Amino acid sequence: MRGLSLELRQEAPIPLDIALTCAPGELLALVGPSGCGKSTILRSIAGLYRPRVAKVAVDDEIWTDTSAGIRVATWMRHVGMVFQSYGLFPHMSAIGNVEAALATPDPAERRRRAAALLDQVNLGGLEQRRPDQLSGGQQQRVAVARALAREPKVLLLDEPFSAVDKLTRGRLYEELAGMRRSLAMPILLVTHDLDEALMLADRLCLVQRGRILQQGRPLDVVNRPTTPEAARVVGHRNIFPARVAGHRLDPPATLLDWRGRRIEAALQPAWSVGAEVSWLIPPSKVVLHRRDRPSRGEAENPVAGTISSFVALGDTTISAIVLDGGEPRRLTLHVARHAAERNGLAAGVRISVSLLAEAIHVMPAQRPRYRRDEVPR
Amino acid sequence: MDWDALWLSMSLAVLTVLALLPIGIGLGRVLAYRSFRGKEIVEALVALPLVLPPTVLGYYLLVALGHASPVGQLWHAAFGSQLVFTFEGLLVASIIFNLPFAIQPIQRSFEAIPVEVRDAAACCGMSPWSALGRVELPLAWPGVLTALVLGFAHTLGEFGVVLMVGGSIPGETRTIAVSIYDRVQAFDDVAAARMSALLLAISLVTIAATFHFSRRVGRRLG
Amino acid sequence: MSTLRSSAARLLGALLLASGLSASSHARATEAPVVAAASDLQLALIEVADAFRRTTGQSVRLTFGSSGNLARQIRQRAPFQVFFSANEDFVKDLAKDGLMRDPGDLYGVGRVVLFVPANSPLKADGTLADLAAALADGRLKKLAIANPEHAPYGARAREALMHAGLWDAIEDKLVLGETVSQAAQFAMSGNTQGGIIAYSLALSPRVASLGTYQLIPAGMHKPLRQAMGLTKDADAVARAFYDFAKSPEARTIFRKHGFVLPGEAS
Repeated sequence: MRGLSLELRQEAPIPLDIALTCAPGELLALVGPSGCGKSTILRSIAGLYRPRVAKVAVDDEIWTDTSAGIRVATWMRHVGMVFQSYGLFPHMSAIGNVEAALATPDPAERRRRAAALLDQVNLGGLEQRRPDQLSGGQQQRVAVARALAREPKVLLLDEPFSAVDKLTRGRLYEELAGMRRSLAMPILLVTHDLDEALMLADRLCLVQRGRILQQGRPLDVVNRPTTPEAARVVGHRNIFPARVAGHRLDPPATLLDWRGRRIEAALQPAWSVGAEVSWLIPPSKVVLHRRDRPSRGEAENPVAGTISSFVALGDTTISAIVLDGGEPRRLTLHVARHAAERNGLAAGVRISVSLLAEAIHVMPAQRPRYRRDEVPR
Repeated sequence: MDWDALWLSMSLAVLTVLALLPIGIGLGRVLAYRSFRGKEIVEALVALPLVLPPTVLGYYLLVALGHASPVGQLWHAAFGSQLVFTFEGLLVASIIFNLPFAIQPIQRSFEAIPVEVRDAAACCGMSPWSALGRVELPLAWPGVLTALVLGFAHTLGEFGVVLMVGGSIPGETRTIAVSIYDRVQAFDDVAAARMSALLLAISLVTIAATFHFSRRVGRRLG
Repeated sequence: MSTLRSSAARLLGALLLASGLSASSHARATEAPVVAAASDLQLALIEVADAFRRTTGQSVRLTFGSSGNLARQIRQRAPFQVFFSANEDFVKDLAKDGLMRDPGDLYGVGRVVLFVPANSPLKADGTLADLAAALADGRLKKLAIANPEHAPYGARAREALMHAGLWDAIEDKLVLGETVSQAAQFAMSGNTQGGIIAYSLALSPRVASLGTYQLIPAGMHKPLRQAMGLTKDADAVARAFYDFAKSPEARTIFRKHGFVLPGEAS
């Protein structure tokens, strides 16, 4: 089998229950809140952390197998790792750092290859600088070059972009994306930034408390989370309970009973009638009924309520609505600033909105958890 | 000036420091990197010679190394002489009472190496010995040097334990500190003053050197 | 580059080790026997050793301390070959326990003196009558003696003070020296008003120049019979030195420093 295959299980001190694979050349993003165990997963692959039960295999090489008592030392694994603070050797120059990972016996050849790697990450000319003489972005590139110098069978990136400013980060994203074609090994990227994962990853793996909540194509995971828990990790806020009232074939729709209100979602026939479910809708798919320009779309799942909080953030505004009809949870929507002004949106104002049926995604029900400001009536 | 005593003191200090180099690096590294049950006890034991009065230390060393002890009898059987009242016995005692001076600075300087740097060394393919020589020691050497310098100076000045374990045998265990005491007892103030001034000068230089190096540790890893 | 550094380190290490080991073998090679002596012999025995070297060309190494301490060290198998004790009982006990060749020989009978430094309010009164007065009227704050536990001169000082009926009153004003020569240090230093020390030490020019003294009557304490002995380790040179210490030349030196044998003129 080519690529990485991984299995980790542990109760304490860090709970882990992971099984995943990563194909050669594939970039798998591990996304989740801080402390959920993402870095521990990477360290386990590198051999720097030893869970109670672990199986790590890369390209037919078994690196760890606790059941067979196999544990290859980290320094004997060909693993390239870029750490959050880069872990550069402070007493060596940039080229020295890269050379440290090269096994070539001939010093001249080693120097040549290290220089070539630094060129590849666009650091030509900065070989002799020490880490404390390099900017954050330059240090990151040295760390990447050093990881690649090892000719790694798997490349591990532990929040490698978190320590630099946004502009540099953008540039580094481009460089990584550009290098992808020449990187033939499985790449695992740990990040808490969902947007970063959406930009760079081929596959996305949601992790929480050492468990995988969901894995798949990034857009699928984000738009169609399989559970409310996954939806929350991904950042969805409009998650509500309902009961499946029925399915209709023409026009196709799944009908949901939401606290006495009837709403229509895109047809999702897998759900049995009468099932208790959760559903979500992205804030961008909640459409304001505009006083200045009423439209036909207002007939689609109309709901009304009072704005409880109204925040302007740059070009957009974010409103939270207390809905009529007893739903304790607020509905969040985004409205462009100019439209908000024209419609006089502010706290205390009554508005009505439409929920676009095609964006309503149904998931299994989950025990409701309320935010502190959402007390059930 | 008792040149024999000075030579004795210097030899004792140099040999102590040489012996403590591997012990300090080995034990200091383990205490810096690993946490295990009973680690506080080990650290307390290492620090013990710092707080114990020299006479207590000397007493226990006499009990542990004297002619009636298992160690003493083993030594006698192997080498035909006593461990106490000899230079070798002083060396053993000196290594023990210098443990905290050797281990603690080295432990601190290994602790100061970021974990990511050590992990990176392993990921670069360096074996533990290779990582020690190419990454850890180049970063931790000010702590090692501090330990050696402190151990050297402390050995030169040690009196109570040396007197109890070694006696005051000229050419064998009469170190310069003991010799000063001996000269005072013999009403020879001139010699005592001269030797004391020399020890004072050496101690001052040592302390200045230690401060200089310990500042460099911080700068290097900053 | 690292191989050059490691071979340089190895060379340095070998040099240091060799120099260190030679320090200990240096002493062994000379093999001069160690003579342990009570502190009151500080000055006398150095002269005897010098005379020994002039006469025979051989050397001994001298180490001084309180007799009790030295006896303890001999019991711990310290490498002493001759023992000069300020109290013959120490030598006799060691012989009984099989650590000496024989019960030893007397080399002198010691005396104690009351020594007062130059500016002291005390008078150098050997009968200790002035001492009693000084206790009463507050002139005396501190008096130095050797530690009675292990220094024979200290034990005799205690006996003399008891004989004069002063012990209870003076006990908390005593400063105890590790050895009788340390007691002399305290007495000379001016931090005490005086001390009861060995006659032999008071005779030394250094001490004499700093104050005055008077002999304490011998009847006020047990006699200070001072004996020397050879340990089981004693080699030929040690035995030669021991015999030399009994010779007329050595006796002259002893007498000069106040060590008189019973029946000898001082």
